[in-house]
Parts: sequence; structure tokens; C-alpha cells
Amino acid sequence: MEKVKLPKSVRAALEAQGVSSEAVLRASAADMNTSCEYADGYVVLTADTLCLLTSPPNPGRVRSFKGYGTKSDADAELPQEWAVKLLPLTEVQNLKIERQVACGLLIANDGDCLAAFSNLHIKNMHRLVRAFDRLKNPQPDFMQEEEDEEEEYCPKCGTMYPDKNRKICPKCMDRSTIFMRVLRYFRPYAGKMAVMLLCFFGIAGMNLVWPYLNGTVLYDHVLKKDTAFLERIGIHDAGFVTALLLIVLAMFFARLSIQLLSILQGVFTAQIVTSVVRDLKKDIFKAMGRLSISFYKSRQTGSLMTRVLSDAERVTGFFIDGAPYILIHTFTLISTLTVMFSIRWELALVSCILLPVSVVVGFKLRPYFWRLFGRSHRAERAVNSQVNDNLTGARVVKAFGQEKRELSRFHTNNARMMDAELSIVKFDNKFTFLYHTTQELTGFVVWFIGAAMVLRGTNFELGVLITFAGYVGQLSGPMNFFSHVFHWWSNSLNSAQRMFEILDSIPEIQESENPVPMPEPKGDIMLDHVTFGYEVNKPVLKNISLHIREGEMLGIVGRSGAGKTTLVNLISRMYDPQEGSIHLDGVNVRDLAFHDLRRNVAMVSQETYIFMGTVEQNIAYANPKASKAEIIRAAVLASAHDFILRMPDGYDTIIGSAGRELSGGERQRISIARAILANPKILILDEATASVDTETEKAIQASINYLIKGRTTISIAHRLSTLRDADRLVVIDNGEITEEGTQQELTALHGTYYKLMELQTKALALKGIE
Amino acid sequence: MPPFGKSPRGPKPGGDGEEEFNLEQMEKETEEMLKLRYLNRDNAQFERTKGGFVSLRVGEEFYPRVHVIRMFPFSDPTKYISIRTPDEHSKEIGVVEDMKQVSKETAEMLTEQLNLRYFTPIIQKIINIKDEYGYAYFDVVTDRGACRFTINIGSHSVVHLSETRILISDIDENRFEIPDVTVLSAKELKMLDLFL
Repeated sequence: MEKVKLPKSVRAALEAQGVSSEAVLRASAADMNTSCEYADGYVVLTADTLCLLTSPPNPGRVRSFKGYGTKSDADAELPQEWAVKLLPLTEVQNLKIERQVACGLLIANDGDCLAAFSNLHIKNMHRLVRAFDRLKNPQPDFMQEEEDEEEEYCPKCGTMYPDKNRKICPKCMDRSTIFMRVLRYFRPYAGKMAVMLLCFFGIAGMNLVWPYLNGTVLYDHVLKKDTAFLERIGIHDAGFVTALLLIVLAMFFARLSIQLLSILQGVFTAQIVTSVVRDLKKDIFKAMGRLSISFYKSRQTGSLMTRVLSDAERVTGFFIDGAPYILIHTFTLISTLTVMFSIRWELALVSCILLPVSVVVGFKLRPYFWRLFGRSHRAERAVNSQVNDNLTGARVVKAFGQEKRELSRFHTNNARMMDAELSIVKFDNKFTFLYHTTQELTGFVVWFIGAAMVLRGTNFELGVLITFAGYVGQLSGPMNFFSHVFHWWSNSLNSAQRMFEILDSIPEIQESENPVPMPEPKGDIMLDHVTFGYEVNKPVLKNISLHIREGEMLGIVGRSGAGKTTLVNLISRMYDPQEGSIHLDGVNVRDLAFHDLRRNVAMVSQETYIFMGTVEQNIAYANPKASKAEIIRAAVLASAHDFILRMPDGYDTIIGSAGRELSGGERQRISIARAILANPKILILDEATASVDTETEKAIQASINYLIKGRTTISIAHRLSTLRDADRLVVIDNGEITEEGTQQELTALHGTYYKLMELQTKALALKGIE
Repeated sequence: MPPFGKSPRGPKPGGDGEEEFNLEQMEKETEEMLKLRYLNRDNAQFERTKGGFVSLRVGEEFYPRVHVIRMFPFSDPTKYISIRTPDEHSKEIGVVEDMKQVSKETAEMLTEQLNLRYFTPIIQKIINIKDEYGYAYFDVVTDRGACRFTINIGSHSVVHLSETRILISDIDENRFEIPDVTVLSAKELKMLDLFL
């Protein structure tokens, strides 16, 4: 049975060359030629041959990239004729993919370009290259047959998933599910929601009564002294003044209750909105905490986060200010129209004629509004980001004396913002003018025809006309609302979707469901053939095996970017290795609870982070229950005690983004104190003393020497003097361990370590130190 | 401090372990590294290779294949072209300050390399843009033919290179460019509005 699915024409072309489709190990499409044109091609790998299929460029063919169109779309229109070139594998020493800025090249023997392709095919091409590497270089230990390509297409409609890791098809996703999911957030506030809705209906009902009171009742019954009517409401003896008083009172109470209900509704709305926004944000924050480091490293995080948080408000805003009004306005619209038609259908019809015009005008002009608003938003963002830029970079601006230029830059942005705002106002005026003209026109027409009817005395009273005009005015609200609610609706659901994206994303590093308990680990670490890369095809660590014994201090040396930090990140399981495994006391770290693992591994890294809070809180971060005495002891051990006391507020000094600024060395000492207090079994020092001076380093060195007793320590350093006390050293170069042994052994080896050491001693000697 | 182990230019003599430590040599290499070497038609010979790339002979040195990279790919695509070794720790061999300073043929073959490296179809016409759930689906006509692609709206997939020039990256980071949005029709602008 053939393993790789190939289009029919490709199979035929291969078979014509004597390559049977059963022999195909891997194949990948290519979609470019080296003259930068889109042209279909295929690269096919068999056990002994690399087949290159090419076809002339076909600019008429529509190219569908990932996420657009279906698999069958992508395969349709493939050329029927292929030019085939066979390359025996004996002639191909190596095969590499070189990523260009926005495409890839398949290169053989370090200089023969075999194929060019867009990023759409880069993954598959990498698979082919890996299969080639396995053929050339069989490693029985790692001969893992690669899994077949994951299903990347929605089974329902055949659309490619935009994000393979989240198998949600945007086309098939039910909008109502999102709607229901958002509604679920409102469930705890069902009671308040009900009150709010009642208020809405109350207001709508009162609004319906108002024109009747103020028109028909006041003019036609009370002012016209309609005794029959007065009898009906229980006022005898034609007490018109009483009736007037009554009607005024009724009108007053109608208005009052509308106002009261509005206030009540406003209060409840505010309560519900803020609560739901709070709940949503809480969930997002929780999801953020759960996600793995790699999520934060991905390029979209920053903007996504801020967007999502404002999205929470937008979604809730719509559900409060939009969704209920759909109901209310539909109710108002239908009831008002019904009442109008029942009063005088001719007049009702007249008043309806111009309404579509205003709706259409409103609808048509909306895109312009969006554009103007968009421009103003962008201008505002530009102003904001410049202010932000200048505040954070104030020192640089001053140092280079560029205040004037910054001012003129600000002026440009500021002026642009003013222009944008002005054009919105201008446009808004035009729009409002048009909209209101239509509205007024309708009113005039109704008044005119109504008045004519009153004059002709065709059983049409003045009060009825006033009532009627009142209803006409009430129509404008719902009409205006319906002209933009649909855009609003889809925007808010888009926001909701973005939020759920975060809530639904599955962390890459998952905690084992039945973790092996390990309250007191010994600290024996074993790396077994570990391969890892941040991108699948670019291994940063290659097949690393390393045993760090309990209580040992291991030094790691290597140039920047060699993979040292990555190695220690794997131990605390910030990432999982792609191949191989890491064991702590013989237990795979994947089987440990996060809590057990991370409580026992503390890291002092080159990136120090100070949280907003006091010095005390910062040191006690990993162990909030620590006593004051313990905190002081940790600070003393980290040589931080003295500088802390030099600050006026001592251990209560507020540090972090809003507080006192600390120097790089001070921050580092705080984080060392933090690690000391955490009292871990495994201590990782990643350039822990890189930003302190030699004198302080010596002091810290002494405390570290104290600290590492009874612990397994891994120390990464550029400065070799830092590693003087290491029991053993490894040199990592290019993701591989190149040298390993004690200091003496490595020196005797005359390798990288020796060179580095010589260089550093000579450099120091030149400066007259040591 | 210069990077240790490897000499900055060209293959180093001997293996890792045998090379004797030599401070003077390292200092010399560092100094060399700090110099910007300009290449022009008099000191450098570029030639096409059989494999579809470009080789370079400059003085005594010969590089069977070089990388050609723009220092300012957007703002100055024909000036300041860096010529580098093609290995992982790519090192600069020299700089072509201006394409005018090399022969027409050389400029041509360098441009070919650049075009491939910075392959970016130019969007000429927008047929449709639809946004749905954080993704936008583009249906466009480019100078390389009709293309349909998807972008993630949340990420920085639309970059403004200038007031009027935008660069769009799809979810695989394939690039598409609109050199001047002002030449688009009102209808096209309306569709693109979300990203302007």
C-alpha cells in the first residue's frame, strides 16, 4: 500500500519514469521557481532517489494559502504534465532547507538549489528533509517513524484550520454557541437581569402611554370637555378642573416613573456590566497563568492580551447596551406601529414612507464613519505611543538634546489627531443634519396631512393628531438602533471569539493527571538523549545526555546562543524536549506535579524580575510564610542586606516598576536572596553574577558556596572565575556537549575551555587585575 | 571580546583541539571584523554558480557561494547590500554600497538573488476581504497571479511601512505588499479599512 498520497498526475509522471508510488517515502509540493514565479512542483523522496517534478509557471491559477479554501481546491488545477528529474541519492550528500525572508529553498550539496516554495509547504518540506537525513544517517535509537501529517482540514466543510493546534473551523463554528457562551457569564446575575428587563419594558410601556395622555386624553377629552369620557373614569358633575389636575398628575407620574425606571435600570446595568467584565477578566487571567512559556514567546501575545482585555468590555457592552435593546426596540417598534395603524392607518402609512430613507441613509454612511473613527483611533494611538515613548526614553531625549525635535514630532501627531477629530465632527454634523431632516420631514408631512384631516373634520381630532405625532417621534429611536445593531453584533462576537481563543488554548506543557508524588527529592538529574528546539526544525539542543549527581555543582560554559539557558529551562519544565527525556531521581519530570517540581527547582537567571512591592515581599516571593528573621538571613547570604539598609525605608522600601529604582547588581542580589529563601533542592544559576562588580561577585560567591551545600547546582557563566568551585564542567557548543570534565581535565584538553580561560586571564593580565 | 573558537572569516585551519591559542591573531581578526569592506566592480568578481546561486572572488579569497542581503530592505533596496558567508554563523564578507558601483551583469545577478530572498508578491487588486473570528480572508490579484490567503488579525500581520505602504503577512508568514494604498479604488479601500 502506498504511504504517501500523491495527486494522480504526479503518480502517473513518476510511474512513467519507473518510480512506483509504493516506493515513495515522503513527498512535498513546491509552488515557486527560482525566478520568483508561482509554478507547481513536487519533490518526492524514495529510498534511493530524489525526484524533482516541475511545471511551467501558470499565473492564471489561483493560489490558495493556508486557511483559505479546501484541500480539494488546492489540488484542483494541478498541471497534468510534469517535467521529471531523477537524482540518485548517491549524488546527494546533504539536503537542507534555507529559509528566505518569506519563502524557502531546498538546497542539495550546499549549493544546488533544487526547489523553491512558499512558507505554505515549508513544514512538509522539512519532513522530507528529515526523512532524507534518516536514510543517510540511520540511528537505530532514534529511528522514530514520523507521524503522518495531522489532519489540518475541517471534516465538515473541508476548510483548512487557520491554527492547527486549535481545531476550530471558523466557518463551521456556530455563532450562536459563542452567543450562548457569553450569556453563560450573565447567569449568576439572572435576578438583576430580570429586574433590568422589567425596567426596560416598563419604560417602553410608559413611552407608549405618554403620547396618548398628552394628546388624545388632554386635548380631545379634557380640553374638549368630553363628559362621557369623564363619566367613564369616574368624575361626575363635569369637574373639568379636577380632570385637568388628574391628567396633569397622571402625566407627571408617567414621566416620573420613566425617569425612576431609567435610573433603576442604569444602576442594575452598571452592576451587571462591571461584574461580568470582572468575571471575564478573571477567567482570562487564570488562563494566562495556565499557559506555557512558549505561548508568551509567540509573536502575537502582547497585542492579543491588551486586545482581549478591552474585548471583554466590548463584549459585555454589547450584551448590555445592545442585546436587550433588540428585544425592547422590536417591542417598541411593533407596538407603536400597531397603535399607529389602529388609530389611522392612512396616516401611519404616510409616516412609514420616509422611515426607510433614514434607515438607508444611516446604513450607507456608516462605513465612512468607521473609517473616520478608525483614523482618529490611529491618530490617538500615535499620540499615546509617542508620549509613552518619550516618558520611558526621557533620559535619552535629554542626553542627546532632542527635546525640540520630539516636540515637533509630537506636534505633527497631535495636529493629525485634531484633524481626525474635526473631520468626524464635520461628518457627524452632515449626517445628523440629513438624518434629522428626514425625520423632521416625516413629522411635517404627518402634521400637514393630519391637520388637513382635522380641518376637513373627517372624524379626526387634534388630540389624536398630537398623540400620533408623538408616536412618529418614538419610531426614530428603534429605527436608528436597527441601522447599526448588526454591525455591532458581529463586532462584539468577534471580540468574544478572540477572548475564547485565549480561554480555550491548551497549554503545551501539561501536568500529568496522576503525578508521582515527590515531596523530598534528592536532586539527581539525568538528561537522556535530549533534543529540543523552539521551532521544530531548528534544534537548539542536539541529542544531549548528561548526568548531574546529587549535591554536585555543575558548571556550563559556552558562547552566547549555544543553548545553555535552554538546557536549564528544560529541567524546570518550561518546555518539554522534542526527543529524549529528563529524569529527576529516576522519575521522568513529565510525571511530576508542577508544584513538586518547581518548588524544588529555583532559578536565578540573567533576567531578573522585581515585582511591585516591598523588598521584603520580593524576597519572600517563593515562600510568603517566611519569618522576618529568615528573610534577613537570606538577604545577608545574598550580600543584599547592606544595600537594603542603605535605603531609607529598609526592608519596607517599595521597589519594582512604580517604586525605587535598583541597579542591575542590586536586582540580581534580591533575586539570589529569593532563591535562597525558596530553599530548593536544585539550584540553577544562569549568569547569576553577571551584572555585579568583581568585588560583589566575590561576596556573592561566598554566599553561593554556602548555598550550594546539600544541593544540586547548575551554574551557567561566561566569567570562568564564577565556576571556580564547580565539581565538573561541560562545554556546550552549537547545541552539543563538546567537552566534559573537571577543570584540570578540560585545561589539559587544550580545547575551547582552555582557549576561553587563556583569553580571560590574559585580558585580566592586560588590565593589571589578578 | 571576540567570539572564541572560530576565526571570523573563512574556514579555520586545523581542528578545534589542535589550534594554539594566539592572542595576537585573535586581535587581528577582531580588527578585521570591525572594518567595513566595500565591494565594487574593481575589487570583487561575482559569478553565477551552476546550482543557481552566486560566487564571489575578492582578492585572494574565493567564496563558492554567498548570501546576498539588503541592509534596508524597505527603505533602500538597491543600496547597502551585504555579502555574507552562507553558513550558520553568517559573517560579512563585504558590502556593495550601491548597485551602481558594480557592473550591470553583477547587479542583475545580485538582484535575482535578492528577489528570491525577499519574495513578496505585490497586491494589485483586492477582490474581497472577509473578516471572521479574528482571521481575515484575503482574495487578491498580485503581480504573480491570483492569491487567497488568511491572516491572523490579532498578531502584527499588517505592518505599515509608511503612511501609504503596507506589508501583509499570512499565517505562514508569506508576505504580500501594497506599495501605495492611495491608488486603490474606494471599494477596495473600504474592504481594507479595518487594517488601515
